[in-house]
Amino acid sequence: MIHNSSRPKYARHPVFLDDLPRGRWPISRRTLLRGAGVALALPWLEAMTSTASSQSPENSSDDSPTRMAALFVPNGVRQDMWTPQGEGTEFELSPTLMPLQSLKSKILVLSNLWNQASNVGDGHYVKCSGFLTCTTINKSLGIDLNCNGRSMDQVAADHTESITPLRSLELGIDPVSTGVDTNVGYTRVYGSHIAWNGPRSPLAKELQPRSVFDRLVRASKPSKASWRERLMLDRVMDDAKELNRRLGSSDRQRMDEYLQSIRSIEKRLDKQSDASASKWHPRSDVDPSMRPPEENPHEHEDHVRLMMDMIALAFQTDTTRVCTFMFGNAVSGRNFSFLDGVSGGHHDISHHESKESKLKQYQLINQWHIEQYAYLLGKLDSMKEGEGSVLDHSMILYGSGLRDGNSHNPRNLPIVVGGKGGGRIQSGQHLRFSGDTPLANLYASLLSAFGTGHEQFADSTGLLPGMLTES
Amino acid sequence: MNVVEFRLTSLRQFSAILCVIILARTSANADESRDAMMFLSSYCVDCHQGEDAESGFRLDRVGSEFDLRGEVKEWKIVLGRVRDHTMPPQDSDEPTPSEREAFVEFLRNRMIAAIAETGPQPGPARLRRLNRTEYANTVRDLLGIHVSVGHALPADGAGGEGFDNASETLFISPIYAEKYMEAADSALRHALRDPDSRNQILHVRPTDDRLPHDAARFVLERFLPRAFRRPVSKQEVDDYVWLFQKAFDEDPSYENAVRFALQAAMVSPKFLMLFEEANETNEPVLITQHEMASRLSYFLWNSMPDDELMRLANDGKLHDPEVLQEQVARMLFSRIDRRGLRRSAKVRDFSENFVEQWLGTRALGREFKPDPSVVPRYSSELEGGLKYEPVFFFEEIFAENRSLLNFIDSDFTYANRAVARHYRIRGEFREQPKRVDLKPEHHRGGLLTMGAVLAISSHPYRTSPVLRGKWILETMLGTPPPPPPPDVPTLEESGEEDESASLRDKLKIHRSAAACATCHRMIDPLGFGLDNYDIVGQWRTKHQGTEIDASGELPDGTRFEGPEQLKEQLMKRKDQFIRHFTAKTLGYALSRGLTEQDDYVVEQVATVLAENDYKSQTLISEIVKSVPFRYKSPAVNPVPTSNAESSIQATSEATERGFER
Repeated sequence: MIHNSSRPKYARHPVFLDDLPRGRWPISRRTLLRGAGVALALPWLEAMTSTASSQSPENSSDDSPTRMAALFVPNGVRQDMWTPQGEGTEFELSPTLMPLQSLKSKILVLSNLWNQASNVGDGHYVKCSGFLTCTTINKSLGIDLNCNGRSMDQVAADHTESITPLRSLELGIDPVSTGVDTNVGYTRVYGSHIAWNGPRSPLAKELQPRSVFDRLVRASKPSKASWRERLMLDRVMDDAKELNRRLGSSDRQRMDEYLQSIRSIEKRLDKQSDASASKWHPRSDVDPSMRPPEENPHEHEDHVRLMMDMIALAFQTDTTRVCTFMFGNAVSGRNFSFLDGVSGGHHDISHHESKESKLKQYQLINQWHIEQYAYLLGKLDSMKEGEGSVLDHSMILYGSGLRDGNSHNPRNLPIVVGGKGGGRIQSGQHLRFSGDTPLANLYASLLSAFGTGHEQFADSTGLLPGMLTES
Repeated sequence: MNVVEFRLTSLRQFSAILCVIILARTSANADESRDAMMFLSSYCVDCHQGEDAESGFRLDRVGSEFDLRGEVKEWKIVLGRVRDHTMPPQDSDEPTPSEREAFVEFLRNRMIAAIAETGPQPGPARLRRLNRTEYANTVRDLLGIHVSVGHALPADGAGGEGFDNASETLFISPIYAEKYMEAADSALRHALRDPDSRNQILHVRPTDDRLPHDAARFVLERFLPRAFRRPVSKQEVDDYVWLFQKAFDEDPSYENAVRFALQAAMVSPKFLMLFEEANETNEPVLITQHEMASRLSYFLWNSMPDDELMRLANDGKLHDPEVLQEQVARMLFSRIDRRGLRRSAKVRDFSENFVEQWLGTRALGREFKPDPSVVPRYSSELEGGLKYEPVFFFEEIFAENRSLLNFIDSDFTYANRAVARHYRIRGEFREQPKRVDLKPEHHRGGLLTMGAVLAISSHPYRTSPVLRGKWILETMLGTPPPPPPPDVPTLEESGEEDESASLRDKLKIHRSAAACATCHRMIDPLGFGLDNYDIVGQWRTKHQGTEIDASGELPDGTRFEGPEQLKEQLMKRKDQFIRHFTAKTLGYALSRGLTEQDDYVVEQVATVLAENDYKSQTLISEIVKSVPFRYKSPAVNPVPTSNAESSIQATSEATERGFER
C-alpha cells in the first residue's frame, strides 16, 4: 500500500492530458470521495510498473504481445468538428479530437471508410450490430435474429484464445435495452451488442467493474482447488450431453452454447493446473487494493473510467488480448446534462437538424467521449513494457456505426486507431482514403497486424494503403 | 393418459368445427369480395403498384380470389392503416365511413379464415435458459433464502412480443457458466448460514448408524426433483451422491460435500434450462404434467412450481380444465390489508415483469431520467412510487378478477406519499403505495394518466405529444406507426426553446407535408390529449405562461378535448385494445414471438373475453387452456446450415479438440 504522501493531487474536474504528469490521469474527484473508490485509484501505476519489470523475465519489446480493443460510441458525431485538417503526418487535430493532442504521434485518424452492408434497414440497430461484422443483420424481433457473420474482435480472439486465460472481454455501461422496437422491426438486442461469436451468438457484456476485476484475478491465478471444479464441470457436461440426446436436433445450438461456456472454464483450469505446460504467466501482478467498489458508480464518467481501468489492467497483465467496449447502446438517450453546456439526451441531441444550439451540445458529447478514449490511451501509454509502453503494443479502435446523427449515414465513419500495434501501425497520421473504402479493409489490416494471418474480412477488398509497416 | 387422448381428439374436432363456422361466416357472398377489390382499386392501387410502389407494397399482385395465405402479416398492417384512417392519405380520395368499415370487416374475416385453415398450432417443445429474473426467483424459492443472486448475471434482451423471457433471445455467452458457478456458491453459503433454510436443505445428517453418503442420498432425493422441476431417476440421484462422496473423501466435512453436490446441480442445465422432451410423433401432443407445472409457474410467478403444483403434476391433474381454473385463481392471489397496502404475493413478479416491459416503465430511472433543471423535486421515493403504481394496479386487476378495461380508465389507483403529493391526492400515505379511490378532480384513472407512463413517453426536459401519441398507438392499440422516412427532419424535436403553443403550430406545418401527414395526423392529436400532464405526469393547465390546449381531431374527424375524452375515444376501440393485450399476454405466457396461428387463438380468447365482461382471470385461464400453451408440435427436421454457420461449426470443432485430454 502506498503511503498517503505519495498521492498525486487530484483536480476537481477531469483534466486534459497535458495538464498532468504522464501516468497520473485522475479519476474525477467524485469517485475518490466515494469511500472504496479511494483505494482503487491510488496505488495503481506505481504498483503495476514495479511488479511488471521485476516479474516478467521475457519482458523485451520483441516478445510483447499485441492487444486489440474496439470501443463503440452510439449516435455518430458532429461532422464539421470531427475531421482533422491536412493529411499524412502533417495534420491538425479537429476540436473534437483535441483531447488526443499529447498522443498525436500514436494515433491514426481514418477518413472515408464506410460500412456498405449496414447501409440498409433502420438508422441504428443495423449500424450497431454490423459495426464489427460488416454484414447486414436480419430484420427481426427475435426469432430470426442473425448477424450473418462474426465480429472482427472474435476472429482475432480465435488467434489468441489458446495463449491467454481469457479469450476476450466484452464490456459496457448500459444493460441490454429493454423490449423490441416495433416501429422499425428490430429487437433492441441488436442495439446492445457489437461482439458476435457467431451469426446467432451475440456476446453478453459485463457492466460491473468489480466483477471484471474479480474475473481477471481469478483467471490469472493458479487455482489449487481446481480438481473440485473439474469434477463439477464433468457432471454438468454429462447432464448437458444427456439432454442433448433428448433434444430435437434444431434445438441443439442452444445447448451447445452452454457446453461451450463450460468448456471455456475447463480450458482455463487446464492452463492453470498445469503451469509447466502453459507458456502463459501474468506480465504483472494485480494489486488487490485496486478492486473496484461493489456498487457501480452513479456518475457516468466514473463508471466509464473504471471500465477503462479494467481494459488497461487486462492488457497489462496479459489476461486477454481482445476486448470490446460500448460507451452506450445504440439510440442511447443518456442524459448528458452533467456536462457544462449540455442539457438533454444523447440521441435526441444527435438529431440536431443543423441547429447551432444542438450542434454545440452534440460536439461537447463527442468530445467527452474522446476524452475518455484519451484517458485509456494515456493509461496504456504510462504502462512501461519492453522498450516502450503497452499502448505501443496495442491497437485501440474507436468509432461509431454512423457518421452524422441526423442522417444515420454509414459513410465516412468517424474512426480512430490508437497505439502502434507492436510497430505494425504507422501511427501519427490522418489518412483520407478514396471515397467509399470498405470499413472491412481496416479490419483486415488490424487482423493482419494482430498476427492472425488473415488479410481478408467480410466485404474487404484489400488492406488499407499507408496504414501498416511491412511485416 | 386417457385425458391426453381425449384432449387430442377434441383438439381435432375443435379445429374442424371452427373451420366450418368460419367458412360459413366468410364465404357468405362473392359481393363482399368484389366490393373489397373495388375498394382497393379506387383508393389504393394508384400508389401501390408496379416496381416503385409506395413503401414497396404492391397490390397489383392480389388476385380476384383475395387469397391472403402467407401474407397475413402484411394484410394485418393494411387493416390497421385503413381502420385508423392513416390510409388512404389525406390528400387523396377518401372512402365513405361505411365503405371503410365494410372493407375492414371483410379483411378481418378473410384473415381469420386464412389462419383457421390450419387451426391453432402449438409451438415446439420449449428449450430455453431461465432468464435473470427467473433464475433469481428460482434460487430464492429452491433454497428458501431472501436475497437475490440475479444481479451477478448479465441483463437479458427481449424478443418476440417484447419480453425478456422470449426463448429466441435468451443466449448463453461464455461468461455464463462462470457466473452460474459463482452465484450458486454464494447462494448456498448464504442459505446454509440461515437456520431455517439450513434445516430444510440438510434435513438428514449422518448418525452413528447412518453413513454420510446415505444421509446425502436423502438430501439429494428431496433436492433434485425440486431443482429439476420433475421426478428424477435413481441414476440421477446416484450421479450426484457419487459427486458428494468424491468431495467427502477429500475433505470429510458432510456439509461442505453436500454443498458441493448441490452446487453442481445448480450449474447443471437440468436446473438452468426450461427443458421439454422433444415430441417425436408426427402431430401435436400434450406437454407432460411437469412441463405444464413449469409453464404455469414461470408464466404467473417467474419461478419454479411450488409443492402444490408438483403434487398435482404427480397426480396427473394439470390438464384438467377445472383444476386449471382453480390453480389460476390461486396463483394470481394477492391480499390487500385494512390500510390498503398489498401484502407480498408471488404474483407480484408477474405484475412487475409484465407491466414494466409492456408499458416500457422499466426505463424509468434507467434509460429515462428527467432533467433535474426541469424537475428539481424528483426523488427516489417519487420514482419508486411512480414505478410501482402500474404494478400494484395491474396486480389488483388480476388478483381481484376485475375488468381489463380498467387499463383504459379506472376509478382507483395506487399511490405512496410522494405520488399522492404529486397527484394532489389528500390522505395518509407512507412510502409504500396504497390503494386510493379517484375523484374527477384528481384527473387520473387508467394507465394513460400514470406518471411513469407519461414520463417515459417524454423527453428528459420536456413533454412530447409525438412520443405520447406513438406510445398509445404502440402500447395500447398494438399499431405502432412506421419510422419516419429517412432524411425527413423530425420537426417536433426542434430544440429546447419551443413552447407548447408554437410546438402545436410547428406540428401543424409538419402534418401538412404529405410524407409526414399520413402518420402524424393520427399520432399528434392523441399525444396532445395528454398535454395537461408535465414530463413526470403532474397536472398542469398552463405551460410557460400559455394555456394548455389539449384538444385534438382524429383522422376520422372526431374531435375531443383533454384526457377524459381521449379515454372515451380509446374505449370505443376497446376490442382492439383487448386483442392487443391478449396477444401480449399470450406471447409472455408462451415466452416466444407469436405466429399467425397464434393470432387465431388471440381472436378466440378476445371473443370469449367480450362475452365475459373482459374479466382478467378469464384471459389467464383461456390462455392456459389454449392449444399453444398445452401442446407441443412435432420436433422439426434439422435446418440445413448456411455458410455463415459452418464457420461456427469449425470453431466449435476446434474447441472440441482443445477439450480432449
